[in-house]
Amino acid sequence: MICGFCHREIPEKTPEVSCGRCGGGCRKVHCPHCGYENPLPSPLFERLFGRKDKEKKK
Amino acid sequence: MKCCAAEKELTTEQAQKRIYLVGNPNVGKSVLFNALTGAYTTVSNYPGTSVEVFRGSCEIHGVRYEVLDTPGMYSLLPITEEERVARDMLLSEPPDLVLHVIDARNIERMLPMTLQLIEAGLPVVLVVNILDEAERLGLRFDLHVLEEKLGIPVVGAAVRRRRGLKEIRAAIVGFDPDERAVFSYAADLEKDISRIASCLTADYGIDARAIALLLMQRDEQLTDLVRGREGDQFAAVEAAINEIAFDRRVDLHLRISLERKRVCKGVLEGVIRQDGQKAFDWSGRLSDLTMNPWTGIPILLLVLYFGLYHFVGNFGAGTVVDFLEAGLFEEYINPWFIEMCRNWLPWNWLFELLAGEYGIFTLGVRYAVAIVLPIVGTFFVAFSLIEDSGYFPRLAMLVDRVFKQIGLNGRAVIPIVLGFGCDTMATIVTRTLETRRERFIATLLLALAIPCSAQLGVILGLLSAVPGALLVWGGTMVGLFLFIGFLSARLMPGEKPMFYMEIPPLRLPQPRNVIVKTLTRMQWYFLEIFPLFIIASVLLVIGKLTGALDALVRGLRPVMELLGLPAEAAAAFIFGFFRRDFGAAGLYDLQTGGLLSPVQLTVAAVTLTLFVPCVAQFLIMKKERGWKASLGIFLVVTLLAFGVGFSLNRLLLAVGVLA
Repeated sequence: MICGFCHREIPEKTPEVSCGRCGGGCRKVHCPHCGYENPLPSPLFERLFGRKDKEKKK
Repeated sequence: MKCCAAEKELTTEQAQKRIYLVGNPNVGKSVLFNALTGAYTTVSNYPGTSVEVFRGSCEIHGVRYEVLDTPGMYSLLPITEEERVARDMLLSEPPDLVLHVIDARNIERMLPMTLQLIEAGLPVVLVVNILDEAERLGLRFDLHVLEEKLGIPVVGAAVRRRRGLKEIRAAIVGFDPDERAVFSYAADLEKDISRIASCLTADYGIDARAIALLLMQRDEQLTDLVRGREGDQFAAVEAAINEIAFDRRVDLHLRISLERKRVCKGVLEGVIRQDGQKAFDWSGRLSDLTMNPWTGIPILLLVLYFGLYHFVGNFGAGTVVDFLEAGLFEEYINPWFIEMCRNWLPWNWLFELLAGEYGIFTLGVRYAVAIVLPIVGTFFVAFSLIEDSGYFPRLAMLVDRVFKQIGLNGRAVIPIVLGFGCDTMATIVTRTLETRRERFIATLLLALAIPCSAQLGVILGLLSAVPGALLVWGGTMVGLFLFIGFLSARLMPGEKPMFYMEIPPLRLPQPRNVIVKTLTRMQWYFLEIFPLFIIASVLLVIGKLTGALDALVRGLRPVMELLGLPAEAAAAFIFGFFRRDFGAAGLYDLQTGGLLSPVQLTVAAVTLTLFVPCVAQFLIMKKERGWKASLGIFLVVTLLAFGVGFSLNRLLLAVGVLA
C-alpha cells in the first residue's frame, strides 16, 4: 500500500498495529514515514476493483 | 567486465559468499532475486519479528553465492520494522556484496541511499533498474560517468525483461572488494563526522563514519547498540554529539539529508539527459509552479474554487442534496413514512421517536443519508483526486513559510488537511508534529477554524446562493486562523522545527485509487455517523417530550438575540455539539425553511463553524492534550465563536453588506 501523502510504501503488517486510540477496526492506517492517515480498503472493494499490491514470490 | 555466466542453482547449505539485495520497495528486487536464484528459495521470519526474508542460492562462474532479498528500505536510518530488519541484516551478517537496486525513473530520490551504503564501507554494486521505462520517458543515462563518479560498479538493467542480467552476474564475479569508493561532505560536516568517529572504539561491522552519521541523526536503536558496545567510552561519544548539536544549532538530520542531496546532484551532473523529442517536462514544471508562492497560491485558489466550491458546494450540497432531500425524502419517502406511522402507531411517543420533528427516520436518517452523505461523498471524491495527484506534499512546501509565522511548519498540513475530512481524527494526527507547542497550536486551530467535510459542504452549498456571503465567511475563517495562530505562536514561544520532505512525483490520479479511497472513506464515515445521528435523534426526542430541549433553546435565546439570529437557530447549535455535521444539517433546515436573512445566514455559518468542537473531538482533545489544555481550548473557542458572531452581525448591519 502506498501512502497518499508521501507516496512511500506502507509495510503490509502496519494495519495490524493499532494507533491505540480506538479498539481497532477503524480501517485507517497511519503511514510510518510521515504519519498521514490512509484509508485501508475493505476486502469487498479490493475484490470489486482488483487488488493493487503485487504478491511476493513464495 | 566479463559476462555470459552459467548459472546453477544450489542448496543454501552449500552457499559460501553472501549477496544482499537492498533498495526501496517496488524497484524490482524480488524480480532480480528470482532471476538470480531460480525456484530454489526459502522464506523465513527474521528472528524476533514477523518480517519475512527470502533466501536463495546460485552459482556464477563456479563461485557459490547465497542471495538474500532484504525488506524494502528507504534509508539506513530505519523507521519501519522492515527497514530495521534490513539494516540489522547488514550490521549483523556482513555481506560479501550488496546489490543496491534503484528505479532509474527516480534515481535522484534513491541515490542518497547508495551514498549511505558506500559510506558504510559496504561492497556495493549499483543496479539502475527499470531502465526501459525511463528510456520511454525520454531519459538517457551515461552509466560510465556515474560509475566513475561513484567509484563503484554500476549496471543498467530492466530485469523484468531480462535485460542486464548478464552484466549483473559479471559485476558480481568481477567485484574487487579492495576497491573502496570515497566521497566527502562539506568541511564542517566532515569535521563533525571525524570527531564522533574517532570516539568509537568497538567493531560495528560497518564503517565508523556511517555510525557517526546515524548517531548524529539520533538513531535510537543504534545509540543503544553503541552504548552497549562502547561501555565507559560512550560518555565521550554522547558528549561529542551533544556539543556538535549545540554548536551547529541546526537540525542535524536535515543538515545531513540536504548535504546528501547536494552530493547526489553533483554526482548526477552529466549522467542524465532528457531526450530532445520529449524536452518539456510538464509534470516537473507544474510541480515547480505549485510550490512557487507567486503561482502556487493562484493554483491553490483554483483547486479550492473548482474542487470545493463548484464540485462539493454547488454539485454535492446543491444538486445531489436537492435531489435526495427535497425531491426524494421530502416529497415521497417522508410523507409515506409519516402517514404509515400515523395509521399504525397508537402511541404518540413512539410516533415522535420515529416520525416526529426530531424522529429517527424523519431527522436522523434524512440528515445522514440525504444531506450529509452526498456532501461528504463529493468531498471525498475531490479529496482523493487531489491526494492521488501528489498535490498535498507540494501544498505543505507552499504553506511552510506562512505556517512558520503561526508556530507551525509545512508538516502541519497533514492534520490540517485531514481536518477538512474529520477534525476528531485530525486531532489524533497532530501527534506526528515534533514539538508540544506545535501540537497545541494545531489542536486549537482544528477546533476553531477548520470545518469538517459535511459542515464545509453544507456551508458552501448554503452560502454560494447569497452573493458575497461566501467571501465574508471565507475571509473570516482564514483571517481568524492566521490571527489566532500568530497570537498563539507569540504567547507560546518555542523552537521552530525545520520542515523537510522528499516530494514524490506529480501524476495523473488513477481512477482505481480514487474510487477505492472514496468508497472506503464513505463507508467508514457512514458507519460512524449513522448510529450517532440515530442516538442524537433519540436524545432530541427525549428532550422534546420532557421539555428539556425547550428549556435549553429558551436558555440560548438571549445568545441568539445577541447574534441577531432567530430563536430556532439555537437548535442547530445544540445539534452541533453532538456532531459538527449534525449542526450543519440543522442550519440547512433553517435556511430551506426561509428562516434566515443573508446576514443571519452568514453570521450563523461563521458562528457554527467556530463553535465548540463536537463531543467526540472534545474527548480526543482531552486524551491528546489533557484536561487543562482541552478545557482551555473549549473556553477560548466558545468565547471566540460568539464574540466573532456578535461583532460580525454588528459590522454587517452597520455597513449594509449583504443586507
